[in-house]
Amino acid sequence: MSIEEQYRTRAKELLSGGAVKMVIGYGKGSNASRRRPIFISSADDVERLVLDDACITNLSGYLVSEGLLSDEKRVAVFLRPEGIRAINILAAESQLDADQIVIFGFDVAGNEVKALKGIHVEEFSDVITSIKESAPEAAEEELFEKIEKMSPQERFSFWQEEFSKCIKCYACRQACPMCYCRRCIVDSNQPQWVNTSSHTLGNFEWNIVRAFHLSGRCVECGNCDRACPVNIPLRLINHRMAEEVLGAFDHFAGTSKTQEPVLASFKKDDSETFIL
Amino acid sequence: MTKILFSDKLDNCVERWKSAGLTVIGPVQRANISTYAAVEHASEFDFGLVLPDRSIKDLFFPQSEPMLRYTIKKESIDTDECLPPSGPRIIFGARPCDASGMAIDDPLFGWDYKDEYWFQRRNESVIVTIACTKADDFCMCTSLNMAPDSTKGSDILLRPLAGNKGWLVEELTNRGREAFKTIADILQESSDLPAPLAVVEKKFDLDACVAWLQNPENFESRFWKEISMRCIGCASCTYLCPTCHCFDIQDEGDTYTGIRRKNWDSCSFALFTMHTSGHNPRSTQSARWRQRIMHKFNYFPGKFSVNSCSGCGRCSRQCPVDMGITETLQEISTLSL
Ligand code: SF4
Ligand code: SF4
Ligand code: SF4
Ligand code: SF4
Ligand code: SF4
Repeated sequence: MSIEEQYRTRAKELLSGGAVKMVIGYGKGSNASRRRPIFISSADDVERLVLDDACITNLSGYLVSEGLLSDEKRVAVFLRPEGIRAINILAAESQLDADQIVIFGFDVAGNEVKALKGIHVEEFSDVITSIKESAPEAAEEELFEKIEKMSPQERFSFWQEEFSKCIKCYACRQACPMCYCRRCIVDSNQPQWVNTSSHTLGNFEWNIVRAFHLSGRCVECGNCDRACPVNIPLRLINHRMAEEVLGAFDHFAGTSKTQEPVLASFKKDDSETFIL
Repeated sequence: MTKILFSDKLDNCVERWKSAGLTVIGPVQRANISTYAAVEHASEFDFGLVLPDRSIKDLFFPQSEPMLRYTIKKESIDTDECLPPSGPRIIFGARPCDASGMAIDDPLFGWDYKDEYWFQRRNESVIVTIACTKADDFCMCTSLNMAPDSTKGSDILLRPLAGNKGWLVEELTNRGREAFKTIADILQESSDLPAPLAVVEKKFDLDACVAWLQNPENFESRFWKEISMRCIGCASCTYLCPTCHCFDIQDEGDTYTGIRRKNWDSCSFALFTMHTSGHNPRSTQSARWRQRIMHKFNYFPGKFSVNSCSGCGRCSRQCPVDMGITETLQEISTLSL
């Protein structure tokens, strides 16, 4: 049985027995290369679920949609390892109760889909540890290295050109499972911390604020990068910040549901006198 | 016999227009994104694109536009109005769905208040459209009763000849004729035939959709919730759309001095209709998605007798969760059967 069929069968069992109220997975998209998120609530609809190498979107963000989990019922969700890490972070940040989440784990190597064993998030810690240890490279190592070697002025110009393309559509934020704030700092106008205009300064402010808010929390799922309609290479920022946090604090985001948030926790005996 | 503009003469035309004081704009690919932007030479154009990622709207209604500068003094407030940069321009190589998009928005910007930012740019622009010989899965002009060679909103229509050799010239407006007078001697007579147009299948029955939308019973239909469940509420679809025109007015500065700007806004955002009290009449994403569809295919045509959609397909092409106007209207056409 293919993994797709196995997971359809499992979804059918869970839904018909009432063990979960919904399965969030992938369905056919508007053309052959696209898959789209689908929400299955009836066992009769499980045939709509698709699982193949085109299933890329990290679906974990849907779990924190307003009201979805408030009835304490369980929800199942198809997740790649990055999505599983996201569940740990959301649980650690008290955004959801991990016991309510049933995971249909999978990973893609080449164009082969393999199932990841486990149901609850704790059962995937080996997978996450092995990713941490394999120290994944940036998606475009060459460009990444090139930027690393730039002088601060050159790097500034590079990002200036990229950010000048931003239209403040906030697709990056909306697509990100970690951007769950009900009122984002850029939507606050009393006081207005960040310019709403998408001129170069406003775009810098937005993208830098977001980079900081995601440092130590980003799981490098790539949702933001793929969502950006103007192709700003957000993946480069994410990867740089993840490396920074790993180097400075040995913190790899999303290893467990009790992991302390690296930039949101402090100790009284901290040697630093300043807290960000 | 028709007039032909040969591709290898385009650079001469660009030179000619530039010396006549026109800014020459067209489809280009820069910094990993395709847009309509000013060029110095014809070689910068990219006519191979189905259509640019960013719509032509950017040239008429930019994402952030200064309206006035102000200084608040003890007894008075000084203001200094900002007008859009002026100067004639020629937009060479627009797509029919982009050109028509601007014509669709004209009545909106000129309805109760004549938006001088919009009309100054409209009056100073010549739009030279190139008919499409290729389309992608998301093009849907024909579903909106338009076509890959629609002339709506264009001053000149060019029909490509086979083998990228050049274009047959159809002059549509006086403004177009004026701009082409400058290059009259560069054009040649020919009996060459145009290359076949792109084939764009109809994706839905627009009349059936409109009838369904106009039926008040469907306002509260469960359909809205089901279709929009995966919508993440970004503004990618509205900001790339040539016809979406909503904006917000923001003051930017400190207590005493600043600048008032007109910035794009989107009905997809939760904040769009949020009241100061915290109440939001469109409190769910489904209500917001319904608004977008209703506005484009019910309210806007009710007021201006034209749909607020030109069929460019950008909303569906770029949606991070593979949604868009196309799917919604396709679904509605099946509901209305
Ligand atoms: S910042 Fe981007 S890559 Fe990181 S978790 Fe959010 S969506 Fe994923
Ligand atoms: S998705 Fe891209 S264009 Fe949109 S706000 Fe984010 S960085 Fe800017
Ligand atoms: S939608 Fe029609 S007019 Fe627009 S690019 Fe596609 S084929 Fe051309
Ligand atoms: S339809 Fe797609 S692009 Fe539009 S708001 Fe929803 S998620 Fe964003
Ligand atoms: S609604 Fe979609 S297809 Fe219609 S004009 Fe806007 S972006 Fe293009």
